[in-house]
Amino acid sequence: MSIPAIAVTGLHKSFGANAVLRGIDLKAQDGDVISLIGASGSGKSTFLRCIPMLEVPDSGIVAVGEHVIEPRGGILSRRDKVTARTIRSELGFVFQGFNLWPHRTVLENVIEAPIHVQGRPRAECVEEAEALLDKVGLSDKRDAWPVHLSGGQQQRVAIARALAQHPRALLFDEPTSALDPELVGEVLKVIRSLAEEGRTMLIVTHEMGFAREVSSRTVFLHQGLIEEDGHPDQVFGNPVSDRCRAFVSGHFQRNR
Amino acid sequence: MDTEFLSGIFLKLLTGLPLTLNLTALSLLGGGMLALLLNLMRASRLGNTIAATYVFVFRGTPLLIQIFMIYYGLASFDAVRSSFLWPFLREPYWCGLLALALNDAAYTSEILRGGLRAVPQGAVEAGRVSGMSRIMVMRRIVLPLAMRQALPAYSNEIISMLKATALVSTITLLDVTGLARAEVSATYRAVEIFLCAAVIYLALSLLVTRGAGWLERRLSPYKFGVSA
Repeated sequence: MSIPAIAVTGLHKSFGANAVLRGIDLKAQDGDVISLIGASGSGKSTFLRCIPMLEVPDSGIVAVGEHVIEPRGGILSRRDKVTARTIRSELGFVFQGFNLWPHRTVLENVIEAPIHVQGRPRAECVEEAEALLDKVGLSDKRDAWPVHLSGGQQQRVAIARALAQHPRALLFDEPTSALDPELVGEVLKVIRSLAEEGRTMLIVTHEMGFAREVSSRTVFLHQGLIEEDGHPDQVFGNPVSDRCRAFVSGHFQRNR
Repeated sequence: MDTEFLSGIFLKLLTGLPLTLNLTALSLLGGGMLALLLNLMRASRLGNTIAATYVFVFRGTPLLIQIFMIYYGLASFDAVRSSFLWPFLREPYWCGLLALALNDAAYTSEILRGGLRAVPQGAVEAGRVSGMSRIMVMRRIVLPLAMRQALPAYSNEIISMLKATALVSTITLLDVTGLARAEVSATYRAVEIFLCAAVIYLALSLLVTRGAGWLERRLSPYKFGVSA
Protein backbone atom coordinates (compact mmCIF):
# COMPACT_ATOMS: atom_id res chain seq x y z
CA MET A 1 0.00 0.00 0.00
CA SER A 2 1.24 3.51 -0.79
CA ILE A 3 2.24 5.99 1.90
CA PRO A 4 -0.96 7.19 3.60
CA ALA A 5 -1.92 10.85 3.23
CA ILE A 6 -2.13 11.13 7.00
CA ALA A 7 -0.89 8.65 9.55
CA VAL A 8 -1.17 9.27 13.26
CA THR A 9 0.23 6.84 15.78
CA GLY A 10 -0.10 6.73 19.56
CA LEU A 11 -1.18 10.34 19.95
CA HIS A 12 -1.36 11.60 23.53
CA LYS A 13 -2.29 15.10 24.62
CA SER A 14 -3.13 16.51 28.03
CA PHE A 15 -4.12 19.99 29.10
CA GLY A 16 -2.83 20.12 32.65
CA ALA A 17 -4.32 17.15 34.48
CA ASN A 18 -6.94 16.66 31.80
CA ALA A 19 -5.92 13.85 29.42
CA VAL A 20 -7.73 14.77 26.22
CA LEU A 21 -6.13 12.25 23.86
CA ARG A 22 -5.03 8.93 25.27
CA GLY A 23 -3.44 7.10 22.39
CA ILE A 24 -5.05 7.66 19.01
CA ASP A 25 -4.06 5.76 15.89
CA LEU A 26 -5.54 6.77 12.58
CA LYS A 27 -4.53 6.37 8.96
CA ALA A 28 -6.12 8.16 6.05
CA GLN A 29 -5.35 6.98 2.53
CA ASP A 30 -5.61 9.38 -0.38
CA GLY A 31 -9.26 9.74 -1.28
CA ASP A 32 -10.61 8.79 2.15
CA VAL A 33 -13.36 10.95 3.59
CA ILE A 34 -13.30 10.32 7.31
CA SER A 35 -15.84 11.85 9.64
CA LEU A 36 -14.95 12.15 13.30
CA ILE A 37 -17.85 12.15 15.70
CA GLY A 38 -18.21 12.09 19.45
CA ALA A 39 -19.54 14.07 22.38
CA SER A 40 -18.04 17.45 23.26
CA GLY A 41 -14.85 16.85 25.16
CA SER A 42 -14.21 13.53 23.48
CA GLY A 43 -11.05 14.99 21.96
CA LYS A 44 -12.02 15.08 18.29
CA SER A 45 -11.18 18.75 17.72
CA THR A 46 -7.95 18.47 19.68
CA PHE A 47 -7.03 15.47 17.61
CA LEU A 48 -7.63 17.38 14.39
CA ARG A 49 -5.63 20.36 15.65
CA CYS A 50 -2.72 18.09 16.54
CA ILE A 51 -2.19 17.11 12.91
CA PRO A 52 -0.90 20.54 11.77
CA MET A 53 0.62 21.04 15.24
CA LEU A 54 -1.80 23.81 16.24
CA GLU A 55 -1.67 21.81 19.44
CA VAL A 56 1.60 20.02 20.03
CA PRO A 57 0.97 16.44 21.16
CA ASP A 58 2.71 15.20 24.29
CA SER A 59 3.78 12.08 22.46
CA GLY A 60 3.01 10.12 19.34
CA ILE A 61 3.86 10.37 15.66
CA VAL A 62 2.14 12.50 13.06
CA ALA A 63 2.95 11.88 9.40
CA VAL A 64 1.56 13.70 6.38
CA GLY A 65 2.82 11.89 3.32
CA GLU A 66 6.52 11.40 3.86
CA HIS A 67 6.83 14.23 6.39
CA VAL A 68 7.03 12.91 9.92
CA ILE A 69 6.96 14.68 13.27
CA GLU A 70 7.53 12.98 16.57
CA PRO A 71 7.22 15.52 19.37
CA ARG A 72 8.59 14.59 22.76
CA GLY A 73 7.18 16.01 25.95
CA GLY A 74 4.97 18.42 24.03
CA ILE A 75 7.97 20.15 22.50
CA LEU A 76 8.95 20.44 18.87
CA SER A 77 12.60 20.30 17.95
CA ARG A 78 13.96 22.82 15.50
CA ARG A 79 13.71 20.23 12.76
CA ASP A 80 10.14 19.37 13.77
CA LYS A 81 9.19 23.03 13.48
CA VAL A 82 10.43 23.14 9.91
CA THR A 83 8.58 19.92 9.15
CA ALA A 84 5.46 21.34 10.81
CA ARG A 85 5.45 24.22 8.36
CA THR A 86 5.81 21.81 5.45
CA ILE A 87 2.95 19.75 6.80
CA ARG A 88 0.79 22.82 7.23
CA SER A 89 1.25 23.92 3.69
CA GLU A 90 0.35 20.40 2.53
CA LEU A 91 -2.91 20.53 4.44
CA GLY A 92 -5.92 22.79 4.18
CA PHE A 93 -7.51 23.56 7.52
CA VAL A 94 -11.03 24.93 7.89
CA PHE A 95 -11.93 26.32 11.30
CA GLN A 96 -15.23 26.38 13.11
CA GLY A 97 -14.96 30.18 13.35
CA PHE A 98 -13.83 30.72 9.70
CA ASN A 99 -10.85 32.83 10.78
CA LEU A 100 -10.60 34.88 7.63
CA TRP A 101 -8.11 37.73 7.79
CA PRO A 102 -10.33 40.77 8.32
CA HIS A 103 -7.90 43.25 6.77
CA ARG A 104 -7.80 41.43 3.45
CA THR A 105 -10.50 41.16 0.83
CA VAL A 106 -11.99 37.82 -0.13
CA LEU A 107 -9.59 37.43 -3.05
CA GLU A 108 -6.61 38.52 -0.97
CA ASN A 109 -7.49 35.93 1.66
CA VAL A 110 -7.41 33.22 -0.96
CA ILE A 111 -4.14 34.24 -2.65
CA GLU A 112 -2.22 35.11 0.52
CA ALA A 113 -0.60 31.75 1.26
CA PRO A 114 -0.06 30.65 -2.35
CA ILE A 115 1.86 33.86 -3.08
CA HIS A 116 3.66 34.50 0.19
CA VAL A 117 4.17 31.01 1.55
CA GLN A 118 4.38 28.90 -1.57
CA GLY A 119 5.98 31.62 -3.68
CA ARG A 120 3.83 31.08 -6.75
CA PRO A 121 3.39 33.83 -9.34
CA ARG A 122 0.65 36.28 -8.49
CA ALA A 123 -1.18 36.18 -11.81
CA GLU A 124 -1.48 32.40 -11.66
CA CYS A 125 -2.73 32.57 -8.05
CA VAL A 126 -5.35 35.19 -8.85
CA GLU A 127 -6.65 33.22 -11.80
CA GLU A 128 -6.88 30.08 -9.71
CA ALA A 129 -8.46 31.92 -6.79
CA GLU A 130 -11.17 33.25 -9.09
CA ALA A 131 -11.90 29.73 -10.25
CA LEU A 132 -12.06 28.53 -6.63
CA LEU A 133 -14.40 31.35 -5.64
CA ASP A 134 -16.59 30.43 -8.56
CA LYS A 135 -16.58 26.85 -7.38
CA VAL A 136 -17.81 27.82 -3.90
CA GLY A 137 -20.37 30.15 -5.51
CA LEU A 138 -18.83 33.45 -4.49
CA SER A 139 -17.22 34.88 -7.61
CA ASP A 140 -19.29 38.05 -7.16
CA LYS A 141 -17.75 38.57 -3.70
CA ARG A 142 -14.18 38.66 -5.00
CA ASP A 143 -13.48 42.18 -3.71
CA ALA A 144 -15.76 42.15 -0.66
CA TRP A 145 -14.49 42.35 2.91
CA PRO A 146 -14.98 39.34 5.17
CA VAL A 147 -17.04 41.30 7.72
CA HIS A 148 -19.61 42.05 5.05
CA LEU A 149 -20.28 38.39 4.37
CA SER A 150 -22.64 36.01 6.11
CA GLY A 151 -21.17 33.17 8.15
CA GLY A 152 -21.92 30.68 5.41
CA GLN A 153 -20.21 32.86 2.82
CA GLN A 154 -17.20 33.38 5.08
CA GLN A 155 -16.87 29.66 5.57
CA ARG A 156 -17.02 29.06 1.85
CA VAL A 157 -14.24 31.61 1.36
CA ALA A 158 -12.26 29.78 4.04
CA ILE A 159 -12.72 26.55 2.09
CA ALA A 160 -11.52 28.25 -1.11
CA ARG A 161 -8.54 29.59 0.85
CA ALA A 162 -7.71 26.08 2.06
CA LEU A 163 -8.03 24.66 -1.47
CA ALA A 164 -5.74 27.35 -2.90
CA GLN A 165 -2.81 25.74 -1.12
CA HIS A 166 -3.22 22.62 -3.27
CA PRO A 167 -3.51 20.53 -0.13
CA ARG A 168 -3.00 16.82 -0.07
CA ALA A 169 -5.78 16.61 2.50
CA LEU A 170 -8.40 18.93 3.95
CA LEU A 171 -9.18 19.09 7.66
CA PHE A 172 -12.53 20.48 8.79
CA ASP A 173 -13.01 21.38 12.43
CA GLU A 174 -16.78 21.55 12.97
CA PRO A 175 -17.22 23.66 9.85
CA THR A 176 -20.91 24.35 10.38
CA SER A 177 -21.17 24.60 14.16
CA ALA A 178 -20.90 28.39 14.22
CA LEU A 179 -23.50 28.90 11.51
CA ASP A 180 -27.14 29.85 11.67
CA PRO A 181 -29.19 26.78 10.79
CA GLU A 182 -30.33 28.18 7.45
CA LEU A 183 -26.70 28.67 6.35
CA VAL A 184 -25.49 25.16 7.16
CA GLY A 185 -26.75 23.70 3.89
CA GLU A 186 -24.69 25.90 1.56
CA VAL A 187 -21.46 24.94 3.34
CA LEU A 188 -22.29 21.23 3.48
CA LYS A 189 -23.07 21.36 -0.22
CA VAL A 190 -19.55 22.62 -0.95
CA ILE A 191 -17.95 19.99 1.28
CA ARG A 192 -20.07 17.29 -0.36
CA SER A 193 -18.90 18.35 -3.81
CA LEU A 194 -15.30 18.09 -2.60
CA ALA A 195 -15.97 14.57 -1.35
CA GLU A 196 -17.38 13.68 -4.75
CA GLU A 197 -14.17 14.94 -6.37
CA GLY A 198 -12.31 12.33 -4.38
CA ARG A 199 -10.49 14.75 -2.08
CA THR A 200 -8.93 13.38 1.07
CA MET A 201 -10.77 14.85 4.03
CA LEU A 202 -11.02 14.58 7.80
CA ILE A 203 -14.21 16.15 9.06
CA VAL A 204 -15.03 16.74 12.71
CA THR A 205 -18.76 17.28 12.77
CA HIS A 206 -22.00 17.14 14.69
CA GLU A 207 -23.99 16.84 11.47
CA MET A 208 -24.67 13.12 11.75
CA GLY A 209 -26.83 12.80 8.67
CA PHE A 210 -24.18 14.55 6.61
CA ALA A 211 -21.39 12.44 8.10
CA ARG A 212 -23.22 9.26 7.29
CA GLU A 213 -23.93 10.35 3.77
CA VAL A 214 -20.58 11.75 2.58
CA SER A 215 -17.92 9.86 4.45
CA SER A 216 -16.25 6.65 3.44
CA ARG A 217 -15.39 5.99 7.05
CA THR A 218 -16.63 7.21 10.40
CA VAL A 219 -14.66 7.30 13.61
CA PHE A 220 -16.32 7.66 17.01
CA LEU A 221 -14.17 9.11 19.76
CA HIS A 222 -14.86 8.70 23.44
CA GLN A 223 -12.72 10.17 26.22
CA GLY A 224 -9.65 10.48 24.06
CA LEU A 225 -9.78 7.04 22.48
CA ILE A 226 -11.19 5.67 19.25
CA GLU A 227 -14.15 3.63 20.33
CA GLU A 228 -15.62 2.73 16.97
CA ASP A 229 -14.13 2.92 13.49
CA GLY A 230 -15.79 1.67 10.36
CA HIS A 231 -18.04 2.27 7.41
CA PRO A 232 -20.66 4.90 8.27
CA ASP A 233 -23.48 2.41 7.69
CA GLN A 234 -21.98 0.20 10.34
CA VAL A 235 -21.05 2.97 12.81
CA PHE A 236 -24.45 4.62 12.52
CA GLY A 237 -26.55 1.55 11.81
CA ASN A 238 -25.04 -1.21 13.82
CA PRO A 239 -22.23 -0.04 16.12
CA VAL A 240 -20.29 -2.54 18.19
CA SER A 241 -19.76 -0.13 21.07
CA ASP A 242 -22.68 0.60 23.36
CA ARG A 243 -21.48 4.14 23.93
CA CYS A 244 -21.40 4.76 20.20
CA ARG A 245 -24.89 3.30 19.87
CA ALA A 246 -26.17 5.56 22.63
CA PHE A 247 -24.48 8.62 21.15
CA VAL A 248 -25.73 8.02 17.64
CA SER A 249 -29.27 7.16 18.57
CA GLY A 250 -29.42 10.11 20.95
CA HIS A 251 -28.40 12.36 18.11
CA PHE A 252 -30.86 11.08 15.60
CA GLN A 253 -33.71 11.25 18.09
CA ARG A 254 -32.89 14.85 18.95
CA ASN A 255 -32.77 15.84 15.36
CA ARG A 256 -35.94 14.07 14.30
CA MET B 1 -5.91 94.70 17.05
CA ASP B 2 -2.37 95.19 15.81
CA THR B 3 -2.46 93.02 12.72
CA GLU B 4 0.95 94.10 11.53
CA PHE B 5 2.50 93.02 14.82
CA LEU B 6 0.54 89.78 14.78
CA SER B 7 1.56 88.80 11.28
CA GLY B 8 5.17 89.68 12.03
CA ILE B 9 5.12 87.48 15.11
CA PHE B 10 3.35 84.73 13.24
CA LEU B 11 6.02 84.64 10.55
CA LYS B 12 8.74 84.69 13.19
CA LEU B 13 7.20 81.79 15.12
CA LEU B 14 6.91 79.81 11.90
CA THR B 15 10.69 79.71 11.72
CA GLY B 16 10.52 77.47 14.81
CA LEU B 17 8.18 75.09 13.00
CA PRO B 18 10.92 72.96 11.40
CA LEU B 19 12.37 72.20 14.84
CA THR B 20 8.95 71.42 16.31
CA LEU B 21 8.15 69.09 13.42
CA ASN B 22 11.61 67.55 13.50
CA LEU B 23 11.34 66.74 17.21
CA THR B 24 7.82 65.39 16.80
CA ALA B 25 8.66 63.16 13.87
CA LEU B 26 11.94 61.81 15.20
CA SER B 27 10.67 61.20 18.72
CA LEU B 28 7.68 59.34 17.28
CA LEU B 29 10.01 57.31 15.09
CA GLY B 30 12.45 56.46 17.88
CA GLY B 31 9.66 55.96 20.40
CA GLY B 32 7.77 53.74 17.97
CA MET B 33 10.74 51.47 17.41
CA LEU B 34 11.42 51.25 21.11
CA ALA B 35 7.73 50.55 21.72
CA LEU B 36 7.84 47.63 19.30
CA LEU B 37 10.92 46.32 21.08
CA LEU B 38 9.21 46.66 24.47
CA ASN B 39 6.28 44.63 23.18
CA LEU B 40 8.51 41.91 21.79
CA MET B 41 10.24 41.76 25.17
CA ARG B 42 6.93 41.00 26.83
CA ALA B 43 7.09 37.45 25.50
CA SER B 44 9.51 36.44 28.25
CA ARG B 45 8.91 36.83 31.96
CA LEU B 46 12.03 38.88 32.61
CA GLY B 47 11.40 41.01 29.52
CA ASN B 48 7.84 41.56 30.64
CA THR B 49 9.02 42.83 34.01
CA ILE B 50 11.54 45.15 32.39
CA ALA B 51 8.97 46.49 29.93
CA ALA B 52 6.35 46.99 32.64
CA THR B 53 8.86 48.80 34.86
CA TYR B 54 9.94 51.00 31.97
CA VAL B 55 6.36 51.99 31.24
CA PHE B 56 5.68 52.55 34.93
CA VAL B 57 8.66 54.89 35.31
CA PHE B 58 8.31 56.90 32.11
CA ARG B 59 4.54 57.18 32.25
CA GLY B 60 4.55 57.90 35.97
CA THR B 61 6.93 60.87 35.96
CA PRO B 62 6.54 64.27 34.32
CA LEU B 63 8.14 64.65 30.93
CA LEU B 64 9.60 67.96 32.10
CA ILE B 65 11.50 66.18 34.85
CA GLN B 66 12.71 63.58 32.38
CA ILE B 67 14.03 66.37 30.15
CA PHE B 68 15.76 68.06 33.09
CA MET B 69 17.23 64.78 34.34
CA ILE B 70 18.77 64.08 30.97
CA TYR B 71 19.89 67.61 30.17
CA TYR B 72 21.06 68.77 33.61
CA GLY B 73 21.32 65.48 35.45
CA LEU B 74 23.49 63.39 33.16
CA ALA B 75 26.09 66.15 32.88
CA SER B 76 26.93 65.76 36.56
CA PHE B 77 28.37 62.29 36.00
CA ASP B 78 32.02 62.18 34.99
CA ALA B 79 31.43 58.88 33.27
CA VAL B 80 28.92 60.53 30.97
CA ARG B 81 31.13 63.57 30.32
CA SER B 82 34.08 61.39 29.37
CA SER B 83 32.05 58.95 27.24
CA PHE B 84 31.71 59.02 23.47
CA LEU B 85 28.09 60.09 23.97
CA TRP B 86 29.04 63.40 25.51
CA PRO B 87 29.19 65.30 22.20
CA PHE B 88 25.49 64.40 21.89
CA LEU B 89 24.40 64.63 25.50
CA ARG B 90 25.74 68.10 25.97
CA GLU B 91 23.52 69.34 23.14
CA PRO B 92 20.04 70.41 24.26
CA TYR B 93 18.61 69.15 20.96
CA TRP B 94 19.75 65.57 21.50
CA CYS B 95 18.78 65.62 25.17
CA GLY B 96 15.32 66.92 24.32
CA LEU B 97 14.86 64.39 21.52
CA LEU B 98 16.05 61.55 23.75
CA ALA B 99 13.64 62.47 26.54
CA LEU B 100 10.73 62.84 24.11
CA ALA B 101 11.47 59.52 22.42
CA LEU B 102 11.85 57.62 25.70
CA ASN B 103 8.63 59.12 26.98
CA ASP B 104 6.76 58.43 23.75
CA ALA B 105 7.94 54.81 23.80
CA ALA B 106 6.20 54.23 27.13
CA TYR B 107 2.84 55.47 25.88
CA THR B 108 3.14 53.98 22.40
CA SER B 109 4.09 50.58 23.77
CA GLU B 110 0.85 50.53 25.76
CA ILE B 111 -1.17 51.59 22.72
CA LEU B 112 0.50 48.91 20.64
CA ARG B 113 -0.03 46.35 23.39
CA GLY B 114 -3.73 47.09 23.33
CA GLY B 115 -3.71 46.68 19.56
CA LEU B 116 -1.84 43.40 19.77
CA ARG B 117 -4.25 42.02 22.33
CA ALA B 118 -7.15 42.82 20.07
CA VAL B 119 -5.78 40.69 17.22
CA PRO B 120 -8.13 37.72 16.97
CA GLN B 121 -6.36 34.46 17.85
CA GLY B 122 -8.16 32.78 14.98
CA ALA B 123 -6.50 35.06 12.42
CA VAL B 124 -3.12 34.12 13.87
CA GLU B 125 -3.94 30.40 13.77
CA ALA B 126 -5.12 30.71 10.20
CA GLY B 127 -1.74 32.22 9.34
CA ARG B 128 0.23 29.53 11.12
CA VAL B 129 -1.83 26.75 9.60
CA SER B 130 -1.22 28.10 6.11
CA GLY B 131 2.49 27.44 6.65
CA MET B 132 3.64 30.94 7.53
CA SER B 133 6.68 31.35 9.73
CA ARG B 134 6.30 33.14 13.03
CA ILE B 135 7.91 36.25 11.55
CA MET B 136 5.62 36.22 8.54
CA VAL B 137 2.54 35.86 10.74
CA MET B 138 3.81 38.85 12.72
CA ARG B 139 4.55 40.91 9.63
CA ARG B 140 1.53 40.10 7.49
CA ILE B 141 -1.22 39.48 10.02
CA VAL B 142 -0.51 40.50 13.60
CA LEU B 143 1.11 43.89 13.10
CA PRO B 144 -1.21 45.08 10.31
CA LEU B 145 -4.24 44.19 12.43
CA ALA B 146 -2.74 45.63 15.63
CA MET B 147 -1.87 48.88 13.87
CA ARG B 148 -5.33 49.26 12.43
CA GLN B 149 -6.75 48.68 15.88
CA ALA B 150 -4.33 51.11 17.52
CA LEU B 151 -4.54 53.90 14.96
CA PRO B 152 -7.25 56.03 16.64
CA ALA B 153 -5.43 55.94 19.98
CA TYR B 154 -2.13 56.51 18.26
CA SER B 155 -3.35 59.66 16.55
CA ASN B 156 -3.95 61.02 20.06
CA GLU B 157 -0.37 60.14 20.91
CA ILE B 158 0.91 61.99 17.85
CA ILE B 159 -0.96 65.11 18.98
CA SER B 160 0.32 64.66 22.53
CA MET B 161 3.90 64.48 21.30
CA LEU B 162 3.40 67.46 19.03
CA LYS B 163 2.37 69.53 22.04
CA ALA B 164 4.94 67.93 24.34
CA THR B 165 7.77 69.22 22.15
CA ALA B 166 6.95 72.66 23.58
CA LEU B 167 8.69 71.59 26.78
CA VAL B 168 12.10 71.58 25.11
CA SER B 169 11.87 75.37 25.12
CA THR B 170 12.86 75.07 28.80
CA ILE B 171 16.31 73.80 27.80
CA THR B 172 17.05 76.73 25.49
CA LEU B 173 15.74 75.23 22.25
CA LEU B 174 14.00 77.64 19.91
CA ASP B 175 11.03 75.68 18.70
CA VAL B 176 7.69 77.45 18.17
CA THR B 177 7.19 77.83 21.92
CA GLY B 178 10.83 78.74 22.54
CA LEU B 179 10.61 81.53 20.03
CA ALA B 180 7.34 82.70 21.51
CA ARG B 181 8.87 82.90 24.97
CA ALA B 182 11.81 84.86 23.65
CA GLU B 183 9.48 87.30 21.92
CA VAL B 184 7.42 87.74 25.07
CA SER B 185 10.56 88.54 27.06
CA ALA B 186 11.45 91.15 24.48
CA THR B 187 8.03 92.76 24.01
CA TYR B 188 5.90 91.75 27.03
CA ARG B 189 2.98 91.17 24.65
CA ALA B 190 2.19 87.74 26.02
CA VAL B 191 -1.41 87.39 24.87
CA GLU B 192 -0.87 88.05 21.18
CA ILE B 193 2.33 86.05 20.97
CA PHE B 194 1.13 82.95 22.78
CA LEU B 195 -2.11 83.14 20.85
CA CYS B 196 -0.12 82.97 17.61
CA ALA B 197 1.80 79.97 18.94
CA ALA B 198 -1.43 78.27 19.99
CA VAL B 199 -2.92 78.77 16.52
CA ILE B 200 0.09 77.06 14.97
CA TYR B 201 -0.27 74.01 17.28
CA LEU B 202 -4.00 73.96 16.66
CA ALA B 203 -3.49 73.88 12.90
CA LEU B 204 -0.98 71.04 13.20
CA SER B 205 -3.34 69.05 15.44
CA LEU B 206 -6.08 69.48 12.88
CA LEU B 207 -3.79 68.13 10.18
CA VAL B 208 -2.92 65.11 12.31
CA THR B 209 -6.57 64.37 13.08
CA ARG B 210 -7.53 64.64 9.42
CA GLY B 211 -4.53 62.62 8.31
CA ALA B 212 -5.25 59.83 10.78
CA GLY B 213 -8.89 59.75 9.74
CA TRP B 214 -7.90 59.49 6.10
CA LEU B 215 -5.41 56.72 6.85
CA GLU B 216 -7.95 54.78 8.87
CA ARG B 217 -10.51 54.89 6.09
CA ARG B 218 -7.85 53.83 3.62
CA LEU B 219 -6.50 50.95 5.69
CA SER B 220 -9.78 49.67 7.10
CA PRO B 221 -12.53 50.54 4.61
CA TYR B 222 -14.51 47.59 5.97
CA LYS B 223 -15.07 49.45 9.24
CA PHE B 224 -16.87 52.25 7.45
CA GLY B 225 -19.47 50.22 5.64
CA VAL B 226 -17.74 50.69 2.30
CA SER B 227 -18.63 47.72 0.19
CA ALA B 228 -16.77 46.68 -2.90
